[in-house]
Amino acid sequence: MLCRQLYEVQEKYGYVPEKEMRELARRNGIPVYEVFGVATFYPGYRTSPPPKASINVCRDFPCHLRGAPKLRQKIEDLVRESGVPGIELGGVSCLGQCDGSPAVQINDASYARKSEDEILKLVQEAIAGKKIAEQHFGPMAKGPFKTNPYPEGEKYGALKALAKSKDFEGVIAQLKAANLKGMGGAGFPTGVKWEGVRKCQNDEKYVVCNADEAEVATFKDREIMKSLPHLVVEGMAIAALVTGATQGYIYIRHEYHDQIHSMDEEIKRAREAGILGKDCCGSGQKYDMEVFVSPGGYVQGEESALLEAIEGKRGQPRVKPPFPVFVGLWGKPTVINNVETLAYVPAILVKGVDWFKGQGKNGSEGLKWIGVSGHVKNPGVFEVPMGTTYREAIYDLAGGILGDKKLKGFAPSGPSGGFLPASMVDLSMDWKKMADAGSMLGSGAIVAIAEGTDLVELALNATQFYRNESCGKCVPCRVGSQKLVDLLHRMAKKEGKREDFETIQRLSDTMLMTSICGLGQVVSAPIDSVLKHFKGEVDAKIK
Amino acid sequence: MNAPSATVTLTIDGKDVTVPKGTTIWEAAQGNGIDVPVLCHKPPLNPVGVCRVCVVDVGARVFAASCVREAENGMKVTTSHERLERNRKTLVEMLLADHPAPCEKHKQTHTCELEKLGERYGILQPLAAGAPVPEPRFWSPTFMSRGVAPDDAHFAEDQSPRRLQKGTDFSNPSIAIDHRACILCDRCVRACTEVKHNNVIGRMGKGYSASISFDVNLPMGGSSCVNCGECMISCPTGAITSRQEAGVQLETGDKLTVDEMLQIPIFQGISSEFLKRNEGSVVRRKFKKGDVICREGEFGSTAFYLLKGTADVFLTTPMAHVKSDKKQSAGFFSKFKHLLAGKKEDPREEGERKFIPIDAPVDLSLDNPIAKLNEGDLFGEMTCLTFQPRSATVRAAEDCEMLEMLRSVLQVLQKNKKFRDQLDANYRERALGQHLRSVPIFSAIDDPKFIDQLKARVELLHYDPGQPIIREGEEGDAFYLIRVGCVKVSKSLPGGEMVLSYLSRGEYFGEMALLDRSPRMASVIALDHVEVVRIRKTDFDFMLGWFEDLRPKLEAEAKKRKEMTERMTRMAPSTSLDDFLAQGLMHAQSLLLLDLERCVRCDECVRACSDAHDGVTRLVREGLRFDKYLVATSCRSCLDPLCMVGCPVGSIRRKESLEVIIEDWCIGCGLCAQQCPYGNINMHEFESNKADPSQPGVKKATVDRKATLCDLCTDLKEPSCVYACPHDAAHRVNAREFFTDLTIKQG
Repeated sequence: MLCRQLYEVQEKYGYVPEKEMRELARRNGIPVYEVFGVATFYPGYRTSPPPKASINVCRDFPCHLRGAPKLRQKIEDLVRESGVPGIELGGVSCLGQCDGSPAVQINDASYARKSEDEILKLVQEAIAGKKIAEQHFGPMAKGPFKTNPYPEGEKYGALKALAKSKDFEGVIAQLKAANLKGMGGAGFPTGVKWEGVRKCQNDEKYVVCNADEAEVATFKDREIMKSLPHLVVEGMAIAALVTGATQGYIYIRHEYHDQIHSMDEEIKRAREAGILGKDCCGSGQKYDMEVFVSPGGYVQGEESALLEAIEGKRGQPRVKPPFPVFVGLWGKPTVINNVETLAYVPAILVKGVDWFKGQGKNGSEGLKWIGVSGHVKNPGVFEVPMGTTYREAIYDLAGGILGDKKLKGFAPSGPSGGFLPASMVDLSMDWKKMADAGSMLGSGAIVAIAEGTDLVELALNATQFYRNESCGKCVPCRVGSQKLVDLLHRMAKKEGKREDFETIQRLSDTMLMTSICGLGQVVSAPIDSVLKHFKGEVDAKIK
Repeated sequence: MNAPSATVTLTIDGKDVTVPKGTTIWEAAQGNGIDVPVLCHKPPLNPVGVCRVCVVDVGARVFAASCVREAENGMKVTTSHERLERNRKTLVEMLLADHPAPCEKHKQTHTCELEKLGERYGILQPLAAGAPVPEPRFWSPTFMSRGVAPDDAHFAEDQSPRRLQKGTDFSNPSIAIDHRACILCDRCVRACTEVKHNNVIGRMGKGYSASISFDVNLPMGGSSCVNCGECMISCPTGAITSRQEAGVQLETGDKLTVDEMLQIPIFQGISSEFLKRNEGSVVRRKFKKGDVICREGEFGSTAFYLLKGTADVFLTTPMAHVKSDKKQSAGFFSKFKHLLAGKKEDPREEGERKFIPIDAPVDLSLDNPIAKLNEGDLFGEMTCLTFQPRSATVRAAEDCEMLEMLRSVLQVLQKNKKFRDQLDANYRERALGQHLRSVPIFSAIDDPKFIDQLKARVELLHYDPGQPIIREGEEGDAFYLIRVGCVKVSKSLPGGEMVLSYLSRGEYFGEMALLDRSPRMASVIALDHVEVVRIRKTDFDFMLGWFEDLRPKLEAEAKKRKEMTERMTRMAPSTSLDDFLAQGLMHAQSLLLLDLERCVRCDECVRACSDAHDGVTRLVREGLRFDKYLVATSCRSCLDPLCMVGCPVGSIRRKESLEVIIEDWCIGCGLCAQQCPYGNINMHEFESNKADPSQPGVKKATVDRKATLCDLCTDLKEPSCVYACPHDAAHRVNAREFFTDLTIKQG
């Protein structure tokens, strides 16, 4: 676990010195270039001594919509006026605090839900070299949650029952009947995935929970891990018993300090209660799990890149096939599921398939956790029936548009689903309906955009996110994302050329059709959607 | 049920194809005469599917990279249609936008695979044969190219890719790197690790700013690269090319063909590609008995490897003329020397050196500076690697056969395990004992039984320039003896790094931490190509146990070194004085000052100096001025004595009293005089009658040169010049104290 070793070294020195890289190479029996390649790949590591203070403002669009550029300018002025040297200033990719925008990262800790004055005061303290108290984020979403099938004080009922009944095929059948899909956004049927791993003949199998939630505007898993950590542990343990896996990892983004803590604590409690360990819940099967703290980067949310990170390699997505179900962690069959997906499993088993399906509305089935951010009065995380309309999410749950302005459009799933016009706000959250509308349900990262917003600028901002987060492995994504940023940059300055439309179309097609992973495939989604739904706005940018 | 079939049948472009299971689509197509262009794949490397140019349509949602996708039964593959070709063209065009065309490879051989694809897709014009090659440019009809306009406003917000920032790397003598031409196909990465198991090249960074790098992003020449050339062969573009200028040819001697070279055992295991490129960089030369192979003090750039026969290695420059304290001189002043003798300090307090270190596996005895070189010996290494002058004269003792080689070949040999092992074995067998004894403090180690035990246990290590050998503050686990090269011993102080000393062949370090089990007091860094003998702590203790009187001697020596370090630490300037700094005076410990208000230019000082030093003055009454003082051009005994770096025979060194002295065996090469930033080392010429190395038995009159510097007349109470000044104008002062006082007074 090279990534963990690098964190240990960084803990000791504040960065990873060359000497220690050589030592890690020697200890692990790998070339030093590999250690160096890993250390320089992830944003979580420094390879030079840390600055006196490091202040980074979120640069992605939910924060951008709520004044991040202005705040960043003020912080820069403050640092310049102080004359204190050695302060690192910059931007950071989405911190998953979009309901407290604009979010700022100071010395590797996130701060949000603060007024501008409060943030500037923290910055001043950081410049002065003071130690700043970390901000802890309590549960933000309000329960009770239907996802939790247990009354207060009870948990692990589904797992206990399964440990006794050993009806593993039955679990797969129930998941299939409940039509449970991958809630990270891809929507792959969970039952099919588990069945695949179960059928693999192998002594060694793994369960991995993808809690890397780093897509812009996505912060729902943050609340599930904070409020219902036991459901995640239970879902993983059930997956382990069903598939025959003996070890699990919950891969959490490193910025989620509170969630790392809550999951760690829950795992400890479960281990003490005999839920995890040599005899998992009295089933006779071994299953234990641990938290794996991500060394950083959105692309780690791509399941095979995530596995590479656990294995201590550069977190570049693998070429597929083979899929992780057959060749996963350390080459072994592996279940990888999103936090939300796993958290639904106990409720489906305890309350039944029909109950779960019956939670939906408007012809859809099941539940959905969503995050609403952007130009809304009360941003936050909500557990809603599948089939809820975007209008309900934006107006009823999140309190409507700031300053009671008109809605110009919305992003149904961060940047990946593109931007839709306000006329489509009555669409409901449904896998098929959204795909038919040329967008996607995705991870339920809803961002409302008020009138007066420049959508070309927003598309540029979203494309920059993909450019920043591209792993660089394959040409279309590595080079294409930069070239697209260049074109949009020019366009945002009203210097676009008519032929740029054709170039964007070509780039878009090449990235979609030839990229290795989903990241490269969606780089052009934001601008494509703007060209489709807001063509007039783009035309105005042509010289 | 059918048994699992060992073959699969698929359709490629409408043609039924049956291939063994596990075959990739690309291989299957290729095997059936269907060409699918690709950049990142080149058999026999394992495919990685990163360039995506080889994508084909298998009827799925997105295209599949044919180089990695296995053929499956019933698959319907289309390798070319409008959309596929358009996507390929876009990929090529994107890469070309950030690629200087024509790149080095395309210029040389018209074989850059990217540019050829560019020509195929009509993006680039083919280079016309015979026409002048155009200047490389970054260009694309549709995409903005980042190589051209770093300050273009469009790019203000985004940094250029690291590849462009990195530019070119010519640190390797035979392979040139142009990161700008790199397309990150990872072929070199696989060639280096999968094919050759050298494990040097990797990818660093992420996304658009990713690049290839060597080890921990070192210049290629400073990395652990062994010059096998595999990366260069694998590279599709001009990112890794052969350095044309490396092909310097040796003029005399028989050129060896690759086959001939490979028959010589020391070349076995070296890539024939490399040898082919370096034909002419190594020659076979035959010498008759008595022929002189090289002369001390000469400049050169080659090393010799003795294939057959033996040779004598010796110094022709006469001793003396540098240190005059041993000599009788007839000057008026010297007659009264004894009256002034105040310091009891023996100027050679560190013990007589009995050996002169030279650029060969042997050292020369001070009393009889001649030794033998045998078959399998390598000499002239430092001349070849760092161009330092020849340290000794070598003459064929019988008819000899030698290989003479240039740096590129020597560097590769040095990294060739077989050659290395042979040299190391020779060293352990023949030279270790003598080398150890050549250090005065170990001169008593003459027990062959002990050497026998030790020689199998020591480690022979090499370091590249700039590489740390030990670090301050670390725990001491070994003792080091320098075999080749020069190291810098320094300590980090709040004000910066302070150089404690430069050490070279025949000197040692690392004993202090072993003796008193304390952390390392200083860091030691290789300044050039350094080879050391590493004696582990357990063996060091064993040695101390075997030779009982060694410990007290070493402890006494360590104590002196420690005191010296403390003294120097105290001396490090704590106040900064602008002028003082600007003139480099802060490095000086001791200055000869002439008070110009008192001085009447009578030149008594110069005469006294001349009298005290065999009639050659070391004091020149000119130099820079500071206030009313003239700082005479005489040695300042700098704290960081740059003059000591690289002396081929180790004759310039610093005494414990921190004065720099030049030993009698100076060969007059003039390197130290060149390096002294203050021009305080003079080369003075003298005539001598000495044996002519090319005509044994015959003497001839020659003019020799030696380096001289002010020795502060340390054997006297006061320097001769200061004593001789009738006007009390000459002063020898401690620089820092003097100027601090002066500044305070002037206030």
